[in-house]
Amino acid sequence: MSKAVEVEVGRRQLRLSNLDKVFYPATGFTKGQVIDYYTRIAPMVLPHLRDRPLTLKRYPDGVEGPHFYEKQCPSHAPDWVKTVAVPAGGKVIDFCLANDLPTLVWLANLADLELHTSLSKARNLERPTMMVFDLDPGPPAGLLECARVALWLRETLGELGLESFPKTSGSKGIQLYVPLNRAVTYDQTKPFSHALARLAERLHPDLVVSKQKKELRKGKVLVDWSQNDDFKTTACVYSLRARERPTVSTPVTWDELEEAHESERPERLVFEAEDVLARAEEHGDLFKPVLELKQSLPELAAA
Amino acid sequence: MPRSIWRGAISFGLVNVPVKLYSAVSKKTVRFNQLHATDHARINMKRVCSVEGEEVPFDQIVKGYEISPDRYVVIEPAELEALDPKKTRTIDIEEFVDIEQIDPLYYEHPYYLMPDTGAAKAYRLLLQALRESGKVAIARVVIRQKEYLTAIRPAGDNRDVLTMETMLFSDELIDPEQIDEYPDSDVEATEREVKMAQQLVESLSTDFDPSKYHDTYREQVLDLIERKAQGEEIAVQAAPEEPQEVPDLMAALEASLAAAKTEKKKEPSKPASKPAAKSRNGAAPKKRASASAPKKRTKTKA
Repeated sequence: MSKAVEVEVGRRQLRLSNLDKVFYPATGFTKGQVIDYYTRIAPMVLPHLRDRPLTLKRYPDGVEGPHFYEKQCPSHAPDWVKTVAVPAGGKVIDFCLANDLPTLVWLANLADLELHTSLSKARNLERPTMMVFDLDPGPPAGLLECARVALWLRETLGELGLESFPKTSGSKGIQLYVPLNRAVTYDQTKPFSHALARLAERLHPDLVVSKQKKELRKGKVLVDWSQNDDFKTTACVYSLRARERPTVSTPVTWDELEEAHESERPERLVFEAEDVLARAEEHGDLFKPVLELKQSLPELAAA
Repeated sequence: MPRSIWRGAISFGLVNVPVKLYSAVSKKTVRFNQLHATDHARINMKRVCSVEGEEVPFDQIVKGYEISPDRYVVIEPAELEALDPKKTRTIDIEEFVDIEQIDPLYYEHPYYLMPDTGAAKAYRLLLQALRESGKVAIARVVIRQKEYLTAIRPAGDNRDVLTMETMLFSDELIDPEQIDEYPDSDVEATEREVKMAQQLVESLSTDFDPSKYHDTYREQVLDLIERKAQGEEIAVQAAPEEPQEVPDLMAALEASLAAAKTEKKKEPSKPASKPAAKSRNGAAPKKRASASAPKKRTKTKA
């Protein structure tokens, strides 16, 4: 085992360990590279993590080893790691807030490969700042089918006056984000997203399901609306995923999605850590509007 | 400000201390109203005569005690008050005991005793005597037609106020041996096990701080209520006449989409707002998302 190194990140002393340990055996991607990725993507990802209760998904022995979710911020966390107390099921959970670079590096050093965030910010947990549709394909359906559903959702949301933004999940599917950033509660986003998922299912019964049931999903895309819930978290944009290769949940443009869909080349929607850093240089943060654009759910016509 | 629930006097020996009784508890339980599920109107309780089926006004209701099936003795309130008029006005101290001798199981409900007009000095005297002797006064009192055994003692935290705890009578407390699962006495733990358990207890030992604990369930219920109140799902008192159907959000969504489509065809400048006719045409692409390619909204630098 390699020795631990002391580093100074943003005026904080951190002790990083096992930097040579291979976390992604398929590509030889090491823990040191994980920390390096998060350090370099920090300017893009920190605004999306800021003030959101964070669920850690830790892989102490890399993606092939066991993993565990951690909601309660570890008791050994340095005192400068900010937390927020959230009542949950009769107790209170102190969630970490990844608000700065030192915290992000500290998390990476804990082998927290995946960053899962709440749709709400700590100061107003009842209010989601966005609505999300998680498109999850049931094999043999894959990214192309997800892209088709995403494009339909985009158009439909557009007709309701809502702009939406896609990202790859970094795993198998695509996620669609609808920025809200206005006074809205989960009691509004949840039924709305559910209704839209059901509508998609009815109009495209051969392509879409809106229920979680595994047996229904074969060859179809689950439009998972249920993440619009204050107890749920979703993989944050720019989060690494614990897949075979170090893939990242990557924001893409609608043009890219359309092109991949039309040319039937799903591999164009797969990005690894290095690709994402290059894209960030080139495009900046494609997901910035998700933090800034103010939109309201439309008032629906009487049926 | 809390209101006193009873007025009387503590009496012991020749001393009489006029006091007012206040409950020391403000229950925080969330209370719900009963509503009719279909229209959310309030449910009314009516007192109905079981024979006539008609509602009975309060002034025609009396107390009856069932002495044998369907045979009642009717008791007037005045008859109860006449039983022991003195007891209904005094808290009679009968003896003083050490507090450790009272099993907390007996305690029922805490009250504060406050000095009534002109009682300041006698009240102070009793308070001080109890505090300095470390004793608790055992007293009897009748409140609202029930006699209580009570323990009177100074409040904790060195507050200069007397408290009164109503207690169960010993025959009201269930003997645990009447319960089937009463622990067997011939099960024994080894000395080592006991020692380990003791160590665990020791390691978790601390000072009791009641402010550390909250009713988190209640907080969640209130939170749920608040969130629902902010959203659309408040149970509004329905106007008695018009029963409303629960709107189907998906149908509403469809109607809005249809409206948006027809308006776009006619006059692209107007925003969709009016209710749609019906129409569930279009929007069913075979392979691709849709031929009417949506406007390119996202900006791409590359």
